[in-house]
Amino acid sequence: MRERPPRKVRIAALGKDVRVLVTSAAAPLPQQLAQSLAESHDVLGTDTKEISSEVDFVRSELDHTPATNELVRGVDVIVHSGAVDPAASVSEQLDFQMRCTYNLLWAAAEEQVPRFIYLSSLSLMHGYDEGLAVTERWKPLPTIEPAVLCYHLGEYVCREFAREGKINVVVLRLGELTDESNASPSRSALYLDDALQAVEKALTAELSGWLDIFHIQSSVPNARYLTGQPWWSADDVSPSFSLGYQPRARS
Amino acid sequence: MNVLILGANGMLGPHVVPALEARHRLRLSDINDLDTPHEYLKVDVADVDQVIAAAEGMDAIINLSVLRTDRKLAFDVSARGCYNMMTAALQHGIRRIINTGPFYAITGPTYERFDHLIGPDVPPQPGTFLYAHTKSLGHEITRVFAEHHDVYVMNLLFYMFLDAEEQASESGSPIANLGHDLVPFTVSWRDAATCFGNALDIELERLPSRCEVFFVSADLPHQKFSNDKARRLLGWEPQDKLDQFWKKTASPGAPGNG
Repeated sequence: MRERPPRKVRIAALGKDVRVLVTSAAAPLPQQLAQSLAESHDVLGTDTKEISSEVDFVRSELDHTPATNELVRGVDVIVHSGAVDPAASVSEQLDFQMRCTYNLLWAAAEEQVPRFIYLSSLSLMHGYDEGLAVTERWKPLPTIEPAVLCYHLGEYVCREFAREGKINVVVLRLGELTDESNASPSRSALYLDDALQAVEKALTAELSGWLDIFHIQSSVPNARYLTGQPWWSADDVSPSFSLGYQPRARS
Repeated sequence: MNVLILGANGMLGPHVVPALEARHRLRLSDINDLDTPHEYLKVDVADVDQVIAAAEGMDAIINLSVLRTDRKLAFDVSARGCYNMMTAALQHGIRRIINTGPFYAITGPTYERFDHLIGPDVPPQPGTFLYAHTKSLGHEITRVFAEHHDVYVMNLLFYMFLDAEEQASESGSPIANLGHDLVPFTVSWRDAATCFGNALDIELERLPSRCEVFFVSADLPHQKFSNDKARRLLGWEPQDKLDQFWKKTASPGAPGNG
């Protein structure tokens, strides 16, 4: 088994000009992420279907082929979405979230990509009573609903690559993406600017260098999930750390 | 009991079928053709419609299907196949599922390398090895289904199989050699097969939860993995000790004596 990488992974020193690969670039959130990140980073988008894109784009099946290695070569951070394609069959959704995530991580490890950001969902935690102070330390409660189960299985794949020290993984469990015009947002709502902030911080934040999970939602009345709390370990050796995410205050 | 066996023409199937056929009505299925006196359906477990059709009228499903090396097929069969099996179980109200896999679907290298007295009730750490990883995903899928629905899953985990009589020889294999030890997660084919009978017999409500994992390994002296749970809950009693492998041979000049 390979040793864990040192706590300060290489990307912490990169700052700007981070080369970022964004998958599922045809989907709404990844598309907006790619465009936003491209203002200060070198961004490449990819998807299984061809699209016209404002950022550099390469179509990829994320198969177990040299093409996936070529796709990730020289990339500093991969942003990979666990959201399913609603137009795909359940079998295709499961296949993408398990096999393609595995292929992507495998290629990334081979090409020594330092960091992998997995965009998961707070829906994994919705099984808990809304009155509980659910944080990243609580056990996920996936359902068999494919859109939820796929997030869980994607995290499962990521976790094993991180456990073996093959790559640093940051899991962002995102709230329910909501338009600013929504007058009655859900208690786990997430506005686009906050989502962008979380991903931007995850690109370079100095974290455990292993596997780090963060809950990300916006500041809404009676917010369901706590965010921005520092991670700590029960030992007295490891310093606490945080993503630095702070949802924008809203009136 | 009406029992569907998925992947019946694999390694374990030819041992499991004779162990069950006297007491159960078997419907065998496999992606490959199978010459059998039992009812047979050609089924690709990666095809949910085929699995649903095959499961109609059944009381239990045994999943022996596996593909280890091809990356696409490994995910199709070992991971997505479990989703399809559980979908079929819900559709037909089948409450008893017996799933299979290798021990490292749960206790991968991070356990196996250094630890001892390893039991099956630990958080899964399969690692990234394709076979372990895809089987572990399959097990996790069965666990999530069982957590939310009235269906019981028994995951029987194996690793090395030996024929205690025919394979009692020196092979030069790292797996098992007379007087030179064997992989400390080994069971004879016949003992492995009998465990499926135990899993079909047990009253489901006696299981501690709707998803349980069992290590199916012989009584071995290494104290690496524990089969206690399979013995205690399923009433499984392995008969073959396989001690010819882990005891030094007595004759002069034999392996381990010189």
